[in-house]
Amino acid sequence: MSISLEQVTKHYGGVPVVNDVSLDIADGEFFVLLGPSGSGKSTLLRAIAGLIAVDHGRISLHGRDVTHVAARKRGVGLVFQNYALFRHMTVADNIEFALRVRHMRARRRRERRKELLRLVALEGMDDRLPAQLSGGQQQRVAVARALAHKPEVLLLDEPFGALDAKIREELRRTIREVQRELGITTVLVTHDQGEAFAMADRIGIMNLGRLLEIGAPHDLYSRPATRFVATFLGAANLFLARQGGDGIQVGAARIATHEQSAEPREHEVVAVVRPEEVTVAATPAELGGGFVAQGVVDEMVFSGALERLRLRLENGGGAPLLATADAAAPPYLEVTRTQHEQRSFELHPGQSVAIGVRRVHVLPTPLSSFAACAASAPDAETLARQPLLTELAARMKTRIAVRCEPQLGMEQAGRGGAAAFVGATVIASEPGAAQRAAWLLQRGAREVLVLPAQAAVPHRVLIHWLGEAARAATLAVSESVLRHVPAEAVYAGIPPQGAADVAPELARRLAEAPAQLLIVGVTDLARFAERFSPLLDGGRWPVLVVHRATS
Amino acid sequence: MSFRKPSVLPGFGLTFGFTTFFLSAIVLLPLAALVLAAASMHWSEFVAVVSSPRALGSYRLSFGASALAASINLVFGFIIAWTLVRYEFPGRKLIDALIDMPFALPTAVSGIALTTVFARHGWIGRYLEPLGVQVAYTWLGVTLALTLISMPFSVRAMQPALLELQRELEEAAETLGAGRLYTFRRIILPTVLPALLTGFTLSFARAVGEYGSVIFIAGNLPMKTEITPLLIVIHLEQFDYRGAAALGVVMLLLSFVVLLTINLLQAWNRRRHVQAAH
Repeated sequence: MSISLEQVTKHYGGVPVVNDVSLDIADGEFFVLLGPSGSGKSTLLRAIAGLIAVDHGRISLHGRDVTHVAARKRGVGLVFQNYALFRHMTVADNIEFALRVRHMRARRRRERRKELLRLVALEGMDDRLPAQLSGGQQQRVAVARALAHKPEVLLLDEPFGALDAKIREELRRTIREVQRELGITTVLVTHDQGEAFAMADRIGIMNLGRLLEIGAPHDLYSRPATRFVATFLGAANLFLARQGGDGIQVGAARIATHEQSAEPREHEVVAVVRPEEVTVAATPAELGGGFVAQGVVDEMVFSGALERLRLRLENGGGAPLLATADAAAPPYLEVTRTQHEQRSFELHPGQSVAIGVRRVHVLPTPLSSFAACAASAPDAETLARQPLLTELAARMKTRIAVRCEPQLGMEQAGRGGAAAFVGATVIASEPGAAQRAAWLLQRGAREVLVLPAQAAVPHRVLIHWLGEAARAATLAVSESVLRHVPAEAVYAGIPPQGAADVAPELARRLAEAPAQLLIVGVTDLARFAERFSPLLDGGRWPVLVVHRATS
Repeated sequence: MSFRKPSVLPGFGLTFGFTTFFLSAIVLLPLAALVLAAASMHWSEFVAVVSSPRALGSYRLSFGASALAASINLVFGFIIAWTLVRYEFPGRKLIDALIDMPFALPTAVSGIALTTVFARHGWIGRYLEPLGVQVAYTWLGVTLALTLISMPFSVRAMQPALLELQRELEEAAETLGAGRLYTFRRIILPTVLPALLTGFTLSFARAVGEYGSVIFIAGNLPMKTEITPLLIVIHLEQFDYRGAAALGVVMLLLSFVVLLTINLLQAWNRRRHVQAAH
């Protein structure tokens, strides 16, 4: 492995900017770190370069542990967004800087410089000063300078950010050619997915300091595992769908899937439909299958090769569409059509159409949506407006349903009749909450979030499970939560002799610091209310209970 | 006017007029009067005044101590400016404001304060005395006073340049294998050199013209601790206006030569780095 990161973590002012990142990059690989600004990708790159000391974790370059090695001894080349050329030096002196530092003889320096200038297509520019070069040329000099000392790793920090589109394209090609010719392991940081697609062998996507997913561009685009990656990498329409043994139900459409579900029982999932996988026609019959719902054309934008449409689904169409980029705006369906599709069926704004989908990808995310549940409708609605809940839902790009259960927590209530509980059910943390949580879990709710009225976005997520059957599910749910909050994860290990008093022990740990969230996995519901009363009945912290029965 | 260029703000003619008028009335006219006053002397008389041993001694002290003070400020002004720009520490704003104190203080007050501290029985002077170091009433005291009053000029001249200095330059040098000293010598220093020179020039100019603070701590011994401005005042007190004017002209010329040299040095340095950039 050229570059190997193990659990690298960096905090700034108590906030993890890079959070537990592990990554292996192979020899000669072109790896792109992609993420929005503030996702920690530049910090991670600087940590690899040695310009930032990490708080925790290990960094190895070619099998050598360099975690505590100074930047100048790491043998890396770094290229900056603003070129960072030495402006009082000529191009030649800039490129030879690293060679001078190493006391290389003048003749050999000159040979190396000529070779590098040829590589970046700047022959004959030796005696120019940076101020006499265009932005693209300056960045070429910066690349040549970074390669002069034959580094084992080339690091590029948004190298095209300050250039205009055409120059960018050219420089991209040059860098890719240079990288192939030298076979040098390269890491590029960018927020531009087009750039990532064009250059990467593999892409790693970062958000809130975490490395969410790693994969080849095509795999990440067609089979993202998380909501963030699905929506950040290209446009995506997110639906709440139902997955059963024989396919996925999106609105009126039942779509066969090859992706196997771990859960045989029908359950709610988040489905991704790419804009190019949506079809429109005048009637459902003309769609040729995959009819989801009726819709109205809201907006049409011509953008060259493709036509971009926004469609509004008519009364939900039985397929709850999740808000896309902007959570405040009513959700709409994004569609792109090729010229050919446009010619065969012309559209105009306001037109009513039948909408179908060709391909659906189901995200393996365990938390599909939230349902705020209380005994009376006003209470449920108040709960649905709880700040932490709305914040979480917005970050997860999902919805909060309101559910009124008049018999919530009453022991004599029957077990049948009620509609299945889908997604995570949310109840208020107050006396009797443990009893209510037990009531919900017994009736099929798989995740119950007990939420106090005042709760902040957690800085720390405490994880614990009782019983091995709940382990996998608890970890999956924790992972899902941690993707959306910049918190550190702590497994709360409890010694066996204390196992009987797990709840008080967990409550004690929650009381240690503010802004914590507990995720606890349970298998056995016997005496649940009694056992978990210290944690749930009026606690000041949010607790997410994950229940999986022993099979 | 052929050198007029379109600008957002109107009124080039008017502003150019004000510029020439103010420069003439406030700077050039008094200077011309000074030269005229001296010119009414006979040549031999002029030479006798400006080349008397006492006058020569005062030039040496004035320009020597000023150059020394500006040099001290070059080094320590840079360090102060660097600290203020690069580090975040409690009280930074306060120290930043303190830098300007010598600007606002009447220079006589600075002189009295320094004398109190460095005189034989002063707070610091009493410890220096046994070591054989005497500050007050020696050239050391003169240099100290000039350093104090010209310090803000060098700090304030360097601060903006250090603020603009990209951290990436140092980071680039570091990843290329350069050590700290090498990076400082080859990257930071050449980049901020113009600002350093400006700081030096301003400090030097301020120090040469200083009078108030020096007379208290210098002791004013002819040939030893007498600066040129003081000698001028002594001539004035004896109603020897022409002698004072003659010394003034010499100061003017010497200062002008020094400042011009530094400015030319700067221009040359600038040209070297961005030669034919356009």
